[in-house]
Amino acid sequence: MDSVLIAAFEILSFGAIIVLVTLGLGIIASMMGIFNFAQGEFVLLGAYITYLGATSGLPVWTGMLAAPFIVGAFGFVLERLIIRRFYLAPIVAMLGTYAIGLIIRECIRGLIGGRYISVSEPIGGSLDFGDVHVSAWRFVIIVVTLLVMVASYLLLARTTFGLKIRATLENPALARASGISTSAIYGSTFAFGAALAGLAGALVVPVFTLFADLGIRFLIQGFVAVMVGGIGSFAGPVAGAGVIGVLSAALPWVMAPVIADVLVFVLAIVFIKFRPQGLLSGRRV
Amino acid sequence: MFNDQFKLSRRRFLSSFAVTTGAIATGAGSWVFPAGWANAAAGPIKVGIATDITGAMAYAGNADTNVARMVVKEINDKGGLLGRPIELYVEDTASNESVAVGNVRKLVQREKVDMVLGGVTSSMRNAIKDPIVARGKTLYIYPQLYEGKECTPYIFCTGPTPAQQCDEFIPWLIKNGGKRFALPSANYVWPHTLNAYARKLIESHGGEVIFEEYYPLDQVEFSSTVNKIISNKVDVVFNTIIPPGVGPFFKQLYEAGFLKSGGRLACVYYDENTLNINQPEEIEGLASCLDYFKVLAKDDPVSGRIQADYDKQFPGKFLLAAGSAATGTYRGLKLWEAAVKEAGKVDRESVAAALDHAKIAEAPGGPAEMVPGKRHCKMNMYTAVAKSGTYEIVARSQGLVDPKEC
Repeated sequence: MDSVLIAAFEILSFGAIIVLVTLGLGIIASMMGIFNFAQGEFVLLGAYITYLGATSGLPVWTGMLAAPFIVGAFGFVLERLIIRRFYLAPIVAMLGTYAIGLIIRECIRGLIGGRYISVSEPIGGSLDFGDVHVSAWRFVIIVVTLLVMVASYLLLARTTFGLKIRATLENPALARASGISTSAIYGSTFAFGAALAGLAGALVVPVFTLFADLGIRFLIQGFVAVMVGGIGSFAGPVAGAGVIGVLSAALPWVMAPVIADVLVFVLAIVFIKFRPQGLLSGRRV
Repeated sequence: MFNDQFKLSRRRFLSSFAVTTGAIATGAGSWVFPAGWANAAAGPIKVGIATDITGAMAYAGNADTNVARMVVKEINDKGGLLGRPIELYVEDTASNESVAVGNVRKLVQREKVDMVLGGVTSSMRNAIKDPIVARGKTLYIYPQLYEGKECTPYIFCTGPTPAQQCDEFIPWLIKNGGKRFALPSANYVWPHTLNAYARKLIESHGGEVIFEEYYPLDQVEFSSTVNKIISNKVDVVFNTIIPPGVGPFFKQLYEAGFLKSGGRLACVYYDENTLNINQPEEIEGLASCLDYFKVLAKDDPVSGRIQADYDKQFPGKFLLAAGSAATGTYRGLKLWEAAVKEAGKVDRESVAAALDHAKIAEAPGGPAEMVPGKRHCKMNMYTAVAKSGTYEIVARSQGLVDPKEC
């Protein structure tokens, strides 16, 4: 019984981590039609800012709080300078964002000397329920992921800003004719997606340690999640991330980990073959 | 009009961007460190370092380069080798085997270096050994701890082998940990070969292997493994998972109460670099067995001098540590220096013949000598335990340990 509880918690927490990392990627892909290959490096930037905050003597959570804002601002500037030139050429956009990601990754590798560095969590240790020990910080991640999911949903579904984003996605020309500044909307959507990545990086760095390939580790899983979930809505990538995260964490419990790793991708490919539109398709939030 | 200008400037930007990246890809990545003086009659002796200056193994490659610069400077300051200065050619293998082969060829064919030292991972050694030894007809020294079984002529290994890291370490673990072992491992050649050796020792010393399991190299989620370790009441986790997985793995083990219930962590590549991967309490009591630990600098004057020299010349992030091949690099260069002195010339045959039985009295961790006919190196081995963020030596070998290879 104990080990079932532990298994359920661990699988849920890894699912939550993948959802958190994929949220920003999904929003940018769905709302803007850009496959942002630099998204993993936005996660890395968030993690690096948290590390900088922690080493400069401030409490860890200040860096964590600052990370989404700084990465969001960075994303905004990046969109203004570079990303907006790619909207008409999605393939070039992939290459371009990949190059941006590569530059960020190698810069951070240089800054941290290619090492793997531990960053402590603000709430450490384990929560003990009898013989069951679960990580306190993973519990926090699950809670924050739920909060961020709900907040993002409300932002996109219930606010005027969300309505404008969806209008811009649906029909940019009509949106412009109705007085919506689509370029401002694109800028802030990209910044929002980047900020979510920054937050994800800040939250997961205590779990996975800071290293230059932290972001790229999750990028492929993120893209598979977006594919499985379906592009075009907010809920699709989130659902896809949940499925991929839970599968990647659950399969090693029942089979050799080396096989499980491959099987997740095989299952995803088979699924996309039979349901190319993804889990949740169509125009919805 | 505006639009045209804009397009033009973007194109110009893109083309200049392409030129810049091209230059970065081909031009940079090679460095030459000439000696401060020259011998007009014979010219300099050329030493090639082929190591990972960039990419995932950069932390090791940069430290190895630093060590090479330090040793070469020391030799040059004392008047060089055979009256000739040593010129150091450093080539970046970029943690990428396909890039490496081209760069190493440059070192061997264009610069015509007299010896190549380098490579950190076994896959890198296997990629570059052929261009150096077979087609390049040059001597190759491999400095990293590894799985053994590299018996190609003209390749000399100066890092510890499984026998050196396990023969005294496994009995110590059984005595100071327990009999029930788990062998969680990354899925590549070093863990597979090392585990085969360790398993034999564990079983012959009365221990048992509860499970031996392999994971993809980039796996970072180990909940099922941790659960298996806890529920099977494993005493010793003999880990060969490598970064990035090792940090999250140790953390999950700690959070599941493995250390609290008296479990012992063991990891034979753990040195000063890897201490930072976890918070100190998460790896309290972790045992490692290597040829050098920084704490030795306190009571061994030779190690102390070398460590102080290194820290003075290269303060910063890249440490003189055994797990990143830095100590193997030191031994390799010094053994080669001794061999060249004995041979009196630098051609491959004469140096290889002398290197076959070369000895040095001073290196980090103590003296070292090649085992004749084996092309592997005898050295002192130390068992250390992590205590609040540093190491404490708990056992040391009686004299030099045999590599038992080839």
